[in-house]
Amino acid sequence: MVQDQSTDRTLDLREGGEAARGDREDEVVLGLSPAFGAFFTQTISHVPLVEVLREVMAGAEEQGVELRVVRVKNTADLAKIAHGAARLAGSGIGIGILSRGTSMIHQKDLAKLSSLELFPQAPLLDLETFRAIGSNAAQYARGESPEPVPVRNDYLSRPRYQAKAALLHLKETEFVEPSGGIVELEVSISRARAS
Amino acid sequence: MTEADPQPGTRRSARTEILENRPVQLDGFVEEWPEVGMIAMESPYDPDPSIRVEDGRIVEMDGRERADFDFIDQFIADYAIDVGSAEEAMALDAAEIAHRIVDPGVARADVLALTRGLTPAKLLRVVESMNVVEIMMAMQKMRARRTPANQAHSTSARDNPVQVVADAAEAALRGFAELETTLGVVRYAPLVAIALQIGAQTGRGGVITQCALEEATELALGMRGITAYAETISVYGTEAVFTDGDDTPWSKSFLASAYASRGIKMRFTSGTGAEVQMGDADGKSMLYLEIRCIQVAKGAGVQGLQNGSISCIAVPGSVPSGIRAVAAENLVASMLDLECASGNDQSFSHSPMRRTARTMPQLLPGTDFVVSGYSGVPNYDNMFAGSNWDPEDYDDWNTIQRDLKVDGGLRHVAEKDILATRERAIRALQAVFAHLDLPEITDEEVEAGTYAHGSEELPRRDVREDLKAAQAVMDRGITGLDLVAALEKGGFRDIAENLLSVLRQRVSGDLLQTSAILDHQLQVLSAVNDANDYAGPGTGYRPSGERWEEMKKLRHVISAENPEKEVE
Repeated sequence: MVQDQSTDRTLDLREGGEAARGDREDEVVLGLSPAFGAFFTQTISHVPLVEVLREVMAGAEEQGVELRVVRVKNTADLAKIAHGAARLAGSGIGIGILSRGTSMIHQKDLAKLSSLELFPQAPLLDLETFRAIGSNAAQYARGESPEPVPVRNDYLSRPRYQAKAALLHLKETEFVEPSGGIVELEVSISRARAS
Repeated sequence: MTEADPQPGTRRSARTEILENRPVQLDGFVEEWPEVGMIAMESPYDPDPSIRVEDGRIVEMDGRERADFDFIDQFIADYAIDVGSAEEAMALDAAEIAHRIVDPGVARADVLALTRGLTPAKLLRVVESMNVVEIMMAMQKMRARRTPANQAHSTSARDNPVQVVADAAEAALRGFAELETTLGVVRYAPLVAIALQIGAQTGRGGVITQCALEEATELALGMRGITAYAETISVYGTEAVFTDGDDTPWSKSFLASAYASRGIKMRFTSGTGAEVQMGDADGKSMLYLEIRCIQVAKGAGVQGLQNGSISCIAVPGSVPSGIRAVAAENLVASMLDLECASGNDQSFSHSPMRRTARTMPQLLPGTDFVVSGYSGVPNYDNMFAGSNWDPEDYDDWNTIQRDLKVDGGLRHVAEKDILATRERAIRALQAVFAHLDLPEITDEEVEAGTYAHGSEELPRRDVREDLKAAQAVMDRGITGLDLVAALEKGGFRDIAENLLSVLRQRVSGDLLQTSAILDHQLQVLSAVNDANDYAGPGTGYRPSGERWEEMKKLRHVISAENPEKEVE
């Protein structure tokens, strides 16, 4: 169980068996990276991961689309995580999120290094953006062509965050289990008891 | 804004408060982690140098048998190292080799005779024995071209060709020898590359241009003569990162030969930090891996390399001795007789002091291109994600050149001349677009573009029409010669002649020589006819004559003749 200082919610992720391919045509699959909520509790810019997950799920839910969450254990490569999720989704639409926040919306028939939408600058991703990512993925799943989520750019985010991003990636890579495959995740989010 | 805030209720000193608010605190610094390669140089996990040659073939290199070589080892052993001189050169102590490199009394050619026989681990030991002043001393002698130069970025956040043509013209007028662009929306490339070329030839005939794109389109624009060189051909220091981009040293060499076959100048790009950033550094230091990249460039037979960390600069910049490592990687490129376009081209620090200090190891000794490139547009318009230098720093740059009498390639230009050149460049593009039946450039855009600082001040273009026209440029097979004809018909004969002279280089092939640029007379200046002859005090390149007079000019200099006035 993981709890972050800056939220009163707790995140409980329980790993189940090997994730299967869904058959609901409007289902989106969200793939989490190996250390998301396991070692890491917040993104590179201190957004609590429990809130990230909540917003993505809410974004899909408000479009009336079901979001299934899986843990990709065998890679920390975002394109592989997002593409792996897309291949499991009944709709063929997947989302990948790394612990540091970097995210991608993918479609199963696209080349792995391509994507529908990529959000490369993790430090600039706030809760509003994560909700929009969930919402857009849901719209793609319904066969729509939503306006891409606006991508922000800040040329000074590199000097502040590039080295930390490298460290976070190296740490995430330590949690990769090459034969771990992709497993179902049961997500429960609850409010912490008042102390 | 710091991550380690004090405990609530803890009193802080007033001085700490001030220090906490300094821009340098916004930069990221991390602890070394050598086991995964998060270390700039001097790692305990880098291999020890060794070599064994049998029957004219390297059978062991840096402690690894040929049977265990990865493809980078193999490529370096077979193509980058001169087997004939390897055993003798490798037998010398690394510090002794470093002495010869730094010593002005040892000729550059004699150093090259040694360095061509060194393995990656040995080259690493050589530069590890140098401090940063010795690295600069060595760079002063080992740089390939005698005359240093500079390169600019000319891009637009809106991919607006009007902005690019005006800023390219200004950058060329200010002294840059090469200009490069890239895109936000890739489909805009043909129009922006045309604008860059015409701007360059308006500002100063002979400035050469490139457009950074995925490799096939970049090559296609070069073959059509819309651009004149290429630089964004990346190589990496571990097999895992190389293959992640579906590439090998052989595929990159094949691409290099495609450029050479058409007389197009090109260089590779690499830099410290890329491998660890990708999480595949194989437990080796950033500098060791970069030296492998430099030798891959050498083995591929390309004339030069852009290095100096480049887009990963905040990674070496975050660890101890990282900026020394970056200076060392530039030096190794020059030690292997490659043209070195030495970085300083990406946003690096929030601190103006760190930004400046980071550039000194290239600016003071001079490199083939001190900055590669200097943003010729405000950083918010820089589609290479921001540079270490931008137009707001022009007068600082000119002043530093004048203070230290070092040639960073730029000059102060009076505002009236800049305005006239910007306007003429946009007018020329307006005529070319009209002649080629591309979307109109209005007089309102000419006016706005002449006076603008950045894309925010320009009228919005009809992007959909522009993108259709960009596709049409490719479909209709428009080439550099069509641009020459359009310029001539539009009444811009001198610009047409400049562009034709640049295109002629494709036939003569002289731009393929190491470190080639075109001078003011559109003559090639390269390591062949302008070889670096530094041999100690009083020798080598020193600003003098007209160039030094030009460097003395600044925006505001009080007149000695009449101290109530400023020098014009």
